[in-house]
Amino acid sequence: MNVGARRMTSVRSDDDAFEALFTAQYARVVGIANRVLADPHEAEDVAQEVFIDFHRLHSSTAEYAPAWLHRAAAHTSLNRLRGARRRQKREVAQALEEGERTLDPQKQLEVDEDRRQVRQALARLAPKPAAALAMRASGLSYAEVAQALGVGIGQVGTLLRRAEAALRKEVTRGTSN
Amino acid sequence: MVDDPDARAGADSAHLESCRDCQARFKVVSDDAHTIAGLLAVPQARVDTRRAFAYIMSARPSQPALGLRFPIWRSAGRPAFALVAAIVAVAVVLVAFTFSGFFFQPTTVKTVPVSVADVQALAQLADYGTYTWTKQPDFQLATSAADASAVAGGLKAPEVKKLPTGVSRNVTYGAMSLAVFTFTFSADKASAAAARQGKSLPALPKGIDGATLTVTVGPAVGEVYGDLNQQATGGSSNEINLPQLVVARSTSPTVKSTQVTVSQLESYILEQPGITDQLKNAIKAIGDPSHTLLIPIPVQYATSKDVTVQGVHGVALGDNTGVGSAVVWVKGGSVYVVAGSIKQSEAIDIANNLK
Repeated sequence: MNVGARRMTSVRSDDDAFEALFTAQYARVVGIANRVLADPHEAEDVAQEVFIDFHRLHSSTAEYAPAWLHRAAAHTSLNRLRGARRRQKREVAQALEEGERTLDPQKQLEVDEDRRQVRQALARLAPKPAAALAMRASGLSYAEVAQALGVGIGQVGTLLRRAEAALRKEVTRGTSN
Repeated sequence: MVDDPDARAGADSAHLESCRDCQARFKVVSDDAHTIAGLLAVPQARVDTRRAFAYIMSARPSQPALGLRFPIWRSAGRPAFALVAAIVAVAVVLVAFTFSGFFFQPTTVKTVPVSVADVQALAQLADYGTYTWTKQPDFQLATSAADASAVAGGLKAPEVKKLPTGVSRNVTYGAMSLAVFTFTFSADKASAAAARQGKSLPALPKGIDGATLTVTVGPAVGEVYGDLNQQATGGSSNEINLPQLVVARSTSPTVKSTQVTVSQLESYILEQPGITDQLKNAIKAIGDPSHTLLIPIPVQYATSKDVTVQGVHGVALGDNTGVGSAVVWVKGGSVYVVAGSIKQSEAIDIANNLK
């Protein structure tokens, strides 16, 4: 096979691999971002940004691909959560979704307020514990959280326990202020 | 003791079955985890994966950034990898901007200290114009040195005489064809980029608008020792196999420029906001920059020392964590690199014994 033909085959197989990776991981990546942002539309924005970034610089056949995507989803969404722009967009998104609500308006207000306070507390945590909580709450196993954060699997339990305590403390602090 | 049943080893699991204290503690941990999961609960996002994929394929850039992709990335080496990426980005900027105004072809190497602020300031220079590939690089993996050499226009892969103990004999060859790209300076883009950063632009050297830098890199050829994973395995493994050693050879890069002189550009670079005095002094101290390949060393994370390799001057790089080391030298019109998760003494030994 000549060099040009080999390159064509390589490009096609990489596109196929990217599609397989996307199909396998897209919902999970959106899930992690949604867990952080509590906004499915913005979560999809984050997921698409993450996949485009991945595709620009990495091979889809790399074994680290899922771990990279999970970590990038957590950090990108946490960065948005901390950003001023995010607050404005969230208010707009909430207003737009008003018509979709099925709960009693008073109850919905309470749910929204709880979610807002939890996200504010999450944004105040250090990046690693916040990412660990978001990933675990999204259903990633300890092994997957360990790979995504580059820590040993034996450290994940302790990392999560400390993160849970920190989040609870921040939520309490937020509600008492 | 953890709340993920799959993460409990057999002995722990057996102990939990019979220990009431641990069962009680497990319940507390598990309840806590459920409480937090409840706090973070959100309605599940409904996704249309096919539609999203179609969008991504239409929105993604037609080419990866600079035409490069990184097939190797390992969990333990992520900080080091990020460091290497930053070094490469700054090296391109330093080479392109510091040594222009004439034909540049390095015959030796030298390190310069850079800080995070330097990296940010220099990386911004890449927004001051546009680049186009005159000839794009073609990357290939090969199973033999001969195949790799064919892709690299006949450049022969360096041959390692003796591998250190513990390094895998499993070798994969790789090659990159010659590539040429041109950076064209734009005064308008430079002003816009500075404005986005909220900074005022130093006065542009006369004639810089439209000035071009033509950079030729490669061809290059090399080999990776270790297991180079080429097939996705679903990410279920806890271990990511590491390429333990990379040995590569590239024809020395060349840079040609038009319209501006080296002293004009050097002054301009050093006036950029954010450049540290340390880097300014290091660049000014270089006697003959036209034949020196600068290697930026992040001052907080990596160390370097001058070494003699194959009878010529070289630079040994390492990081303070001992994660990896590298040796770089220029000889006979080629730049050589030996790098990996090995000791610095082993990297120097391999470098001295390359055929």
